[in-house]
Amino acid sequence: MTFLFALFLAQASCASCHGEDGNSKIANIPSLAGQPEFFILNQLFLMREGVRPIESMKPLVKDLKDSDIDALAKHFAGLEPRPSGESIDPALVKRGSELAVTLRCASCHLPNFAGRQQMPRLATQRVDYLVHSMKEFRDNKRSGADTLMSNAVAGLSDADLTALAHYAASLGK
Amino acid sequence: MVLALLQSPPGFSPIDRTNEAASNQAANLAPHATPPTVTPLERLPLDKIKLPAGFKAEVYSFGHPGGRTMAIGSNGTIFMGTRQLGRVYAITNRDGKREVKVLLQGLTQPNGIVVKDGALYVLAINRVFRYDDIENKLDNPGPGVELTDKFNLPTEIHHNWKYVDFGPDGKLYVQIGSNCNICEVNPGIHGQIRRYNLDGTGMEIVARGVRNTVGFDWHPVTKELWFTDNGRDWAGNAGPEDELNRVATGQEGAFYGFPYCHAQGIPDPDIRKPNACAGVTLPAALTGPHSAGLGIKFYTGNMFPQSYRNVAFIARHGSWNREQEFGFDVVVARINGGRARIEPFMTGLLDEKTNMFYGRPSYVLQLADGSLLVSDETNGAIYRITYQAR
Repeated sequence: MTFLFALFLAQASCASCHGEDGNSKIANIPSLAGQPEFFILNQLFLMREGVRPIESMKPLVKDLKDSDIDALAKHFAGLEPRPSGESIDPALVKRGSELAVTLRCASCHLPNFAGRQQMPRLATQRVDYLVHSMKEFRDNKRSGADTLMSNAVAGLSDADLTALAHYAASLGK
Repeated sequence: MVLALLQSPPGFSPIDRTNEAASNQAANLAPHATPPTVTPLERLPLDKIKLPAGFKAEVYSFGHPGGRTMAIGSNGTIFMGTRQLGRVYAITNRDGKREVKVLLQGLTQPNGIVVKDGALYVLAINRVFRYDDIENKLDNPGPGVELTDKFNLPTEIHHNWKYVDFGPDGKLYVQIGSNCNICEVNPGIHGQIRRYNLDGTGMEIVARGVRNTVGFDWHPVTKELWFTDNGRDWAGNAGPEDELNRVATGQEGAFYGFPYCHAQGIPDPDIRKPNACAGVTLPAALTGPHSAGLGIKFYTGNMFPQSYRNVAFIARHGSWNREQEFGFDVVVARINGGRARIEPFMTGLLDEKTNMFYGRPSYVLQLADGSLLVSDETNGAIYRITYQAR
């Protein structure tokens, strides 16, 4: 019953922004397809708690029960991630791949950037959203599930973050 | 370069300077997740817990996901701080059972909690709140009195989830972590333990060169401050080991080595300096590689055998930056002057064969009857340890 409700919710509320198949076509809105189940669950909890306040999400998450969150997490984790169609710059991909080694991104997000547990999938994520998100961490506007991200991107320029985003988005499965 | 430094906010540190190849560790080590969901009673790992003869563990409370730090009010309410979930819990007693309520929510990493004169103090990174007469306002604590501007603590979040407690001098002692794994920090701002008057005035630096302490207590006899400190990551599976440190009387403001010198005198492989360990106060004891000693409390109760009088119980949260997991237990530190000897106490939550853990002891708290509470962040539970002579 709850799972059906979650499916209904996903289609009725989530799809208009995050895409019919969980792959966002809208700038600065993240794709959720193929994200680690725990990551989605955790973020919905943090949004509901007000730890990660996002105005457009507030009315959608405020009445979710734990079991709804669980079902939504399972739903999106099971969808197929697809590239956003944004243009990917090979020179930036190369620069980003070098930065990613220095910053040790793979230790949490895995070498293929598929993510795991509380760490999100970055591969095939929207470039604009990745840049937006990393800026929030860098500029101390978002604490995340762990504070390590604010440390990982500390002191990076916008150009560095853009390069990292192009690299991450360029990775497939 | 100078311009770049001038443009940086005060206290801002450069990013980590680690040599990942030199650490020779598996590349996929990562911090463990903390579930935001309730672990039901029947799934708590109580049967895994092992204790010395005569000691027994029971479940004191559960249903408070992510609960870590504990402070007790004069009416017996246990307050619990969390990290990422942003909640502060209040746990009360009714008819011999515990009731859990979410007292505050939506805070950023409110790990710093302490009760004094009926007021609950909550420190969430740089924000400071005081909730007066809190045990009579558990259903409606209100907004509290915000003291953030008075304390003016740094806003960087990494390694700055607070630990706070009141010292024997009545001052509020506050952790200010180093906001990186290993880097040069501004020593005037980061890597310290400070003390303040209750209103945020009179700041003094009690310890410097501290990477990240999230637990301290005062020896019941000498009244000296003892603190745990978490060693750096990505310098190998063997450590450098975490530390138990003492601030000797008259040595307030001493330097404990970060980022140049670790453990019993290991120069840092990445941040190099000639005579890296000169002038460094070395630890009273090492507490294990990546073991993450968090909470520490000296035992002053009458329930446990006499040999536990004035020992320190240390909760070791357990490793992540280590291929073979380590810690996930509570140890005893037996103090002898400026040295300490570490012994096992509560074990069993780490299965060394499968490299799996069942819970993460985070903080310890002594109750009035002399029993000991141990919080388990992963399972959102508190275990109570009692002793009965056989």
